[in-house]
This record gives sequence, structure tokens and C-alpha cells, in this order.
Amino acid sequence: MAERRISRRSLLEAVAKVGPVVALGPIIAACTSSAASASPSASSAGATPGASGPAPSTPAEPSAEPTPEAELNVYNWDAYIGENTVKEFEETYGIRVIYDKFPDASTMMAKIRSDGKGAGYDVCYPTSVEIPALVSEGVLQPLKLDLIRNATNLGAEWSNPGYDPNNANSMPYMWWTTGYCWNGDTIAEELDSWESLWNPAYSGRLSMLDDYREVFAVAAFRLGLDPNTTDEGELDQMVALLEEQKPLVRTYTTDDIGVMAGGQADIAHAWSGDVYQMYEDVPNVRYVIPKEGAVRGSDTMVVLSGAPHPIAANLWINFNLDAEVSAANTNYIGYMGPNAAAREFIDPAILEDPTVNPDLGLVDKLVELLELGTDTDKYTQRWNALKA
Amino acid sequence: LTTAERTAAAGATPAAGRPLRARLAVHVPGALLVAPGVLWLAVFFLAPLAIIFVVSLASRNDSNQLVFDSLSLNNYAEATRPEYVPAFLNSVRYAAITTFLCIALGYPIAYWISRHGGRRKVLLLILVMLPFWTSYLIRTYAWMIILRDNGVLNGFLQTIGLIDRPLILLNTDFSVILGMTYGFLPFAILPLFVSIDRLDHNLVHAARDLYASGRAAFLHVTLPLTLPGIVAASMLTFIPAIGDYVTPDLLGGAQTTTAAKMVQVLFSTGRDWPYGSALGFLLMLMTLVGTFVALRTLRRETFG
Repeated sequence: MAERRISRRSLLEAVAKVGPVVALGPIIAACTSSAASASPSASSAGATPGASGPAPSTPAEPSAEPTPEAELNVYNWDAYIGENTVKEFEETYGIRVIYDKFPDASTMMAKIRSDGKGAGYDVCYPTSVEIPALVSEGVLQPLKLDLIRNATNLGAEWSNPGYDPNNANSMPYMWWTTGYCWNGDTIAEELDSWESLWNPAYSGRLSMLDDYREVFAVAAFRLGLDPNTTDEGELDQMVALLEEQKPLVRTYTTDDIGVMAGGQADIAHAWSGDVYQMYEDVPNVRYVIPKEGAVRGSDTMVVLSGAPHPIAANLWINFNLDAEVSAANTNYIGYMGPNAAAREFIDPAILEDPTVNPDLGLVDKLVELLELGTDTDKYTQRWNALKA
Repeated sequence: LTTAERTAAAGATPAAGRPLRARLAVHVPGALLVAPGVLWLAVFFLAPLAIIFVVSLASRNDSNQLVFDSLSLNNYAEATRPEYVPAFLNSVRYAAITTFLCIALGYPIAYWISRHGGRRKVLLLILVMLPFWTSYLIRTYAWMIILRDNGVLNGFLQTIGLIDRPLILLNTDFSVILGMTYGFLPFAILPLFVSIDRLDHNLVHAARDLYASGRAAFLHVTLPLTLPGIVAASMLTFIPAIGDYVTPDLLGGAQTTTAAKMVQVLFSTGRDWPYGSALGFLLMLMTLVGTFVALRTLRRETFG
């Protein structure tokens, strides 16, 4: 959900600093950024010129499987997969991967809905709450579970999720919590309540996620209400509380990493995986799942109904559920996967980090946001009025 | 040889007395010649506008699909709620200030290039357009890196000891207007350059010969004669500025929401196309009215 490392910020900044003339910054930064952003995708598109030609040295594993197509179109968050996953998949199956990235969920959702069957992509990564709507709209096709044998690696709590019984249409990819983080260098206190996001001491140093469901959920937790409520009276109470908070807010943004790394915020409403990505720039960043409760979410892997390469798509999902591949993904991006078999390969520092991998005792305080259909309007109208 | 001459030489069409182009010009009615332009306008401007208008009258069923059976103006009533007025005012305010700054900065630049550019005019104009070689998004991100609290500018000012706490630059009116002015300045300079470059400088000399001061000659000769360029530059700046959502989104903050940003929320996460269309149509109406007023003023000023 966050803008996951839009670019290699530190590199960009370092080069921008080299130019003593500030005006040169944009030009230099622009040059670097195109070079920098090429690195994550270097393992994708153009990296395997010969892959679509002769079969690779490693043959496709079980020979009983149908022959996969030569190409695969993947559409995922930027910086949301292991460094070498794409290359390893290409080498294993001899399938050329065309790997496309989106910066925010709404862009992706609008695109795959544009023709009602996925806009030519094979695999995509929607949030779990979107799955019921996408299934009923016919945007997804059922998974070929006989090709996804690694589904047995999933932890028991993920094998039959409420949003998609038996994972018939989607496979869980990564999950997170939404709490808030603060810079331990500037805020010494131990924080544990959502109330801190209303503390006037942090006026102008506070950022909230630019995601109305997440923001309303914070107000709901403070008021002891259900974050999935559609009751107008309750929503009015929530928005009144948020109106009170707004003068303190520096910005509503999904770039929670950017506002903490850039120093604009000392305290920020944030996604847990993004906090992991902040360590480099803000070494003393702290994260809490507040005591009043918090949102838990997960992203899934799906095959779109218009997928031109459905077999390759199912093989891709199977590949990403492999214990070692899943662990490599987690080790690179800092989001926990639902893969129980992967745990032994995950960096112990991540497993021991309660930010990324919270104590399961907390899980009952976590609420998943549900798709609300046209009742969503009650939120968007209040959200727009709040921000206007 | 033209085709006509060739065919005439071959003796196939003895009637070909005049070149083909001349005969075409006589026989092809004017309407046909403007057809490509009209078609372009119809397909890429009027049709989308009509679609947006029809969608803005529609409603949605429970599974978020558009329903056209009961068209109404409800979405417009909703879109003009007083809570939204500040966002519309913000849009107009940012666009107006940006336009003013673009003209104020662009006019001297265009004037200088035209009068003193000499042999390097083309090079200078290419330099004006140089930023377009990089994506606007990337350039806006670069501004974020410059303006943020521990960014390039604050770092520099702190190093030389001018300030000891970072200035709050990002997420303010200042950063939004800076970003927009930076982004739209080339759009203002080019039409200003054209109208200043076309100005017959003998007129200015004549004014000076008649004892006008430099200031008076500028105010009474140069400025009125370049007014069409100023209006064109204003429109090329104001129109995209009022609909710009990238700059306020990236450089703005919690207190700087614009109407375009609201439209974006409605279309993407909100998935309320009718309501978003109504808001978008209102925004466009504001732009059209502004343009119309500007053109009327121009016509009065230049043609009496």
C-alpha cells in the first residue's frame, strides 16, 4: 500500500548534493534517478535476451505439467519483490518476464479494471480486501491449484482466509500492520496510544497516510468504534475527531518513508514494512501497534481473467510461494510473508523485529478493512470535505 | 515535375492546363480543408467533454457500475457543497499566483532573449525548453529533495550558519507555488517571446523620438502591442495550473488540498465516477469562463 521506495532516495540525494548549484539539482537528480531506478528492474525485462529463444539449461521441473507460455506480464508494487526473484524465475522456467511496477494501489486497480479483465497483465498484487469485488466483477480467474503445490507452505491461518475461501482466486503474498512510527532522536517518550497523533506538541511534525480508510480507522480505534462502520452518525463522530487533528498535520501522504527520511515528520502514521525500510535513513525509528487496536492488511497474488499467459502465471505464483524464494523476498523488502516454511530462511533480525513480525498475541487486536461497496462514498465525501 | 505536368506530358489528360495544386484549391471546398482540425477537436476535445458530462449526470448501482436510466443534477448539488469551496479557492489561488509569477519572470526573460539574444536566440530558446527532456514527475521529486527539512537547501543554509533550525519549506503554499511556477514557466516564455520578437522595434524608436521616456514607451507601446502574447501565456499557464494535481500532491501538505486532488480521489480509490465527473466538469467550466473573459478583454484592448 505504501509507495515502496519510489527510488533509491539516498543515492539520488547524494548526487543532488554534489552539484553545488542548487538549480542543477533537478537535472543531475534526473540523470541519476533513471540510472538508479534501472537497478531493481535490471533483473527483469531486458536482462535475458536469449530466454525466449532456446530452452535454458535447467528444464521446467515436473514434466507432467502443461507447457508454459514463453512470456509473462507481471504488475507489482515498485520495490516489492526480492532482488533476484525475477531472474531466478526466468532461469528456472525459460519464461521471459515483463515486469511492470505501480506506485500506488489506486493506479493499479483503475488499470486492471479498465477493460474488466486485467488490461493485458497476467499476474497482479491487489490487497486482500479487494478480492471479493474483483472476483464478482470477473476481473480474476480461479487459480490452477494443481500447478501451485507450494500452497502447502502457507501457515494454517492463511490457508482458508475469509476474503477468499480456500485461496481459490488468490494467494497471500505479504502482510503488514498499520500503526505509527516516531524518530527516537527527537521524541524520547515511549508511545503506545493513538492519542499521540493528536498531541499538539507534534504540531507540524506529524504526518498521516493519504488513505482514507486507514485514517478513518485511526479515529475509529480512538473512539472505540468499528473501522468498517457504515453508520453515518459514527462516521460524523470520526470526522469531527479528524478535523480536530488536521491543523497539526504536516501532510497526508503514502510516502511515509519519505517524510521520516526527509525530516518533515517526527511522528508518522505508517505501514510496518515501510518502517523496516526507514532504518537506513532514520536509525532510531520506533514503531508501535497502538493499544487501542490497529489495521492488519495483506497483499495477494492473482491471475487476471484476460491473462494471455495463464500457465506461466500460475507457475509464477507457485515459484513465489517456494520457501526460499518467499524468504528472499521478505529479506529484501522487509515485509513478512504468510509462508510458514519460509521462516527458517528468513533473516533472524527480521523475525525478531516486532515491527515487522509482531507478537501473535496482538493479532486479536488487529482488524482487517473490508470492501464496503457504494458505502465507500460515505467515507470519500467526508474525506474530501476534511481535506478541502 | 509535378504529377500534373507529368500526366500532361504523357498526353493522358489533355485538359491539365494549370498545376494540380491550383486546381485543387479551386475545387476543394474550404470545409474539407478544415475537416482534419474539426475532426481532431471533435474526437479529442468535444467527445471526451460530452462523455464526462453524461457520466456526471449518471448514478451507480450497488456493484459500482454506471447507471444511466435516471439522469439528474444531484452530483452537481453534491459537488457545490460549502465544505468543498476552500479546495476550489485553493486551485484558483495557486493557478492565479503561478500565472502572475510566470508572466512577471517570463516577460523579462523573453524580452532579453528577443532583444539581446542575437545569434544565440535559438540556443537560448532550447535552454528554456531543456527541462522538458526529463519527466515532470522526476523534476518534482528533485524539488522535494531540495526543499525537505534535511534537504539540500536547508543543509546549505545551516552549513553557512544562516539558520540553525531547518526552514519549513516543503508541504507549504510556498513549495506548491514554487513547483508550479517552475513547471509552467517555459509555457509562458515561448508565447511571450513570439509576440515580443514580432514587435516592430521602429515603433518604440518612434515613441522615443517623440520624447517618450523609456518607461512611457514601454507602457504605451511595447506592452499593449505584446498583450496578445501575455494573454496567450496566461492561458497556457492558468489552464494547466488549475487542473494540476501532481504538484500540489507531491509538494503540498495537509493544508493545501486542491479541487483536482479531490477529483483524483473520487476517480481512483473512491470509484465514484459520476461525482468525480461533476467536480471535474465544474473545474473545466471555471477554466472556460476564465478563458472567455480573458479573450473578451483582449479583443476589447487590441481591436477597440
